[in-house]
Amino acid sequence: MPTSETDHHHTIHALYDFISEHLYLNRPDLEVDGEKFNSALLLSLLTALLGGKELVIGEPGLGKTTSAEYVCALLYRIPLGVLWGSEVAGHPEQTEEKMVGRPDLGKLNRGEEQVVWSNFVQLPVKIIDEINRLPETKQSLILDGIDRGNWEYLNQILLQDEYCLFATANYQDQGTQTLIPPLLDRFDVMVESKHPGANLSFFISQQEQKEHLLRDGECEREFYAVLLDKVAPEGKRAKLEEVGGRFAGLLHERHNLTTLEKEERRTLRAAIAGLEFSAEASAFTRTALTELSFCCTYGQKRSNEECLEGCHYSGYLCYQVRNCASNRLPISLRRYAQALAWLLSSSQVEAEHVRCVFPFVIAHRVQWRDAYVSAREREARRDPLPIHLAKQAVAEIWHRFVEQREQIMGALAQAARILAGEDLQPLEGDHPIFVEIKRDLGGDQLW
Amino acid sequence: MVNPFREFHAIQGGRREIPLDRIIASKDLILDRLIVGYHKLIEEEVHNLVWLVDHGALPRAYAAAEKAIAEVNFTVEDVEDFCFTLEKADSFALALAGPSGLYLSAMCNRVEGTEISLRLKGLKSRVHLLGYRLPEGKRLIVEGSCGDFAGAAMEGGEIIVQGNTGNWTGVGLKRGKITVEGNAGERTGEWMEGGEVQVKGRIGSLGQVQGGKVYLGDLQVAPVRETT
Repeated sequence: MPTSETDHHHTIHALYDFISEHLYLNRPDLEVDGEKFNSALLLSLLTALLGGKELVIGEPGLGKTTSAEYVCALLYRIPLGVLWGSEVAGHPEQTEEKMVGRPDLGKLNRGEEQVVWSNFVQLPVKIIDEINRLPETKQSLILDGIDRGNWEYLNQILLQDEYCLFATANYQDQGTQTLIPPLLDRFDVMVESKHPGANLSFFISQQEQKEHLLRDGECEREFYAVLLDKVAPEGKRAKLEEVGGRFAGLLHERHNLTTLEKEERRTLRAAIAGLEFSAEASAFTRTALTELSFCCTYGQKRSNEECLEGCHYSGYLCYQVRNCASNRLPISLRRYAQALAWLLSSSQVEAEHVRCVFPFVIAHRVQWRDAYVSAREREARRDPLPIHLAKQAVAEIWHRFVEQREQIMGALAQAARILAGEDLQPLEGDHPIFVEIKRDLGGDQLW
Repeated sequence: MVNPFREFHAIQGGRREIPLDRIIASKDLILDRLIVGYHKLIEEEVHNLVWLVDHGALPRAYAAAEKAIAEVNFTVEDVEDFCFTLEKADSFALALAGPSGLYLSAMCNRVEGTEISLRLKGLKSRVHLLGYRLPEGKRLIVEGSCGDFAGAAMEGGEIIVQGNTGNWTGVGLKRGKITVEGNAGERTGEWMEGGEVQVKGRIGSLGQVQGGKVYLGDLQVAPVRETT
């Protein structure tokens, strides 16, 4: 059992290495602080660590679901066979009764109402396969559960204190639906599970069944016995943790892998949440958020309003986006940047960490103007268009931030002093963040 | 009220200087000095606004203009920027047609560089005396029209006016060439001693051309060629 912070780092790095060497073979496509990672695997690991929500996109058969399964099996000590039995498959005929829970028919015959919760709802790991095959009306059914971990059925409610969610989505075809913006916004990050390249792909074909590495018949039977038990879910948590502990012992025995128990995961999350942003990381985040929400004419971005031609700020991204950044966006950004900084043993969150996770946080949330998409869709790239656009956008914002860093940080510092009561004037500058600062100081007209 | 900036309170925000800032500041300084010099010229010469008809006043005013810019190290771009300043100027002094032309001429004659483009299209009033004493080897291209006395007492070089000129174009011209792509006013070529004036549009009237040549289009109109 890992005890110290260093042990936790070692544990998580060892899990990443085990998955990348034995289970999910893919190329590194992300470099941060001199370390190379595969973005799909890294973000899945961070999602499971944080208890976040991730949308994994990609072509069929390229490991969208399995990458999430491998990560969750190891992070939450749940055998693969159990995860398979708890996944929700997106299709038009999917029902709330299959996804969330159903009445206990025996008790219903006796006039009692008792909910039998689905495995999907009971386990802390939630995987929805092909979420974009769920019709829009059924996407709404899982909004609250996804957002808050509260699942309701027949006036009964199941509250979860720890959960993570992975949803996979294929690219648009005849059978897919549009993901509704409120659902999309609830995902912290979006990442693509890419083709590993011809050589790795051929190598994978030569591998023997690798699922057995994370399976054990005995443990799976024990898990199912607990899940099918009709006692209240709250009463099952200790039992599930106990069975998970036995599976963790097997993992250690077979692969010399250490995994985390629930309390350790909680401690680790607290450590991650305690990491502060450096002043530069904070200023860059504010600069980027400004460009995704600011409008000089209409006060803020609104998806039903379009910028005027010839706006002074047409060189900034606020001119290119159609919708406004939600308050969930900075929450996702903060958590994932903190988790990445923690993973890299940084004492605080640096701008580099923010830059690294930012594209994955905004790729599914930002709606771009058609002209902006048309201008960039034929560019050479290695990412799907939404992630490519997001990466380009972040690079643009970073470039502007570097040019104006001293002025922006000076303006933020000046604003701090003004609000603390000093008799100073807000600093002027071209970036819209200077206007935002003035608005916060009450210096810009309110209407 | 929540202070959303409190984490920056301890930051000493200093303005980082980038090379462009230095260049802009330097350009602004030069332009400021040129404008100060111009105001100085106006102060010295404003009492003598009738100097155009006083033969000795013109060289004296030109000498004052030369003195005003003597200490300023400016470039061709600064001369062109000064024109923009004239265009945007609201003050009466900056837009005075005579002194501004004389001052511009002094700048053009002193600046290093052979070709100077002056944009005068947007000026509210015509600039007189542009190209006064332009020396050999300089080429002055004027976008727009000039006032009176364009190319007066030129000592060489070339002026191309992409518009019209006023009266006394090329007055006292010694050497060099003046090309007017539009029309020229009355007494064109007055007291010319040499050089060439070519007007592609119309000429109001010719002055007393003592030397050099005046063309209307390709036709030499002064001195008139004797036909055999």
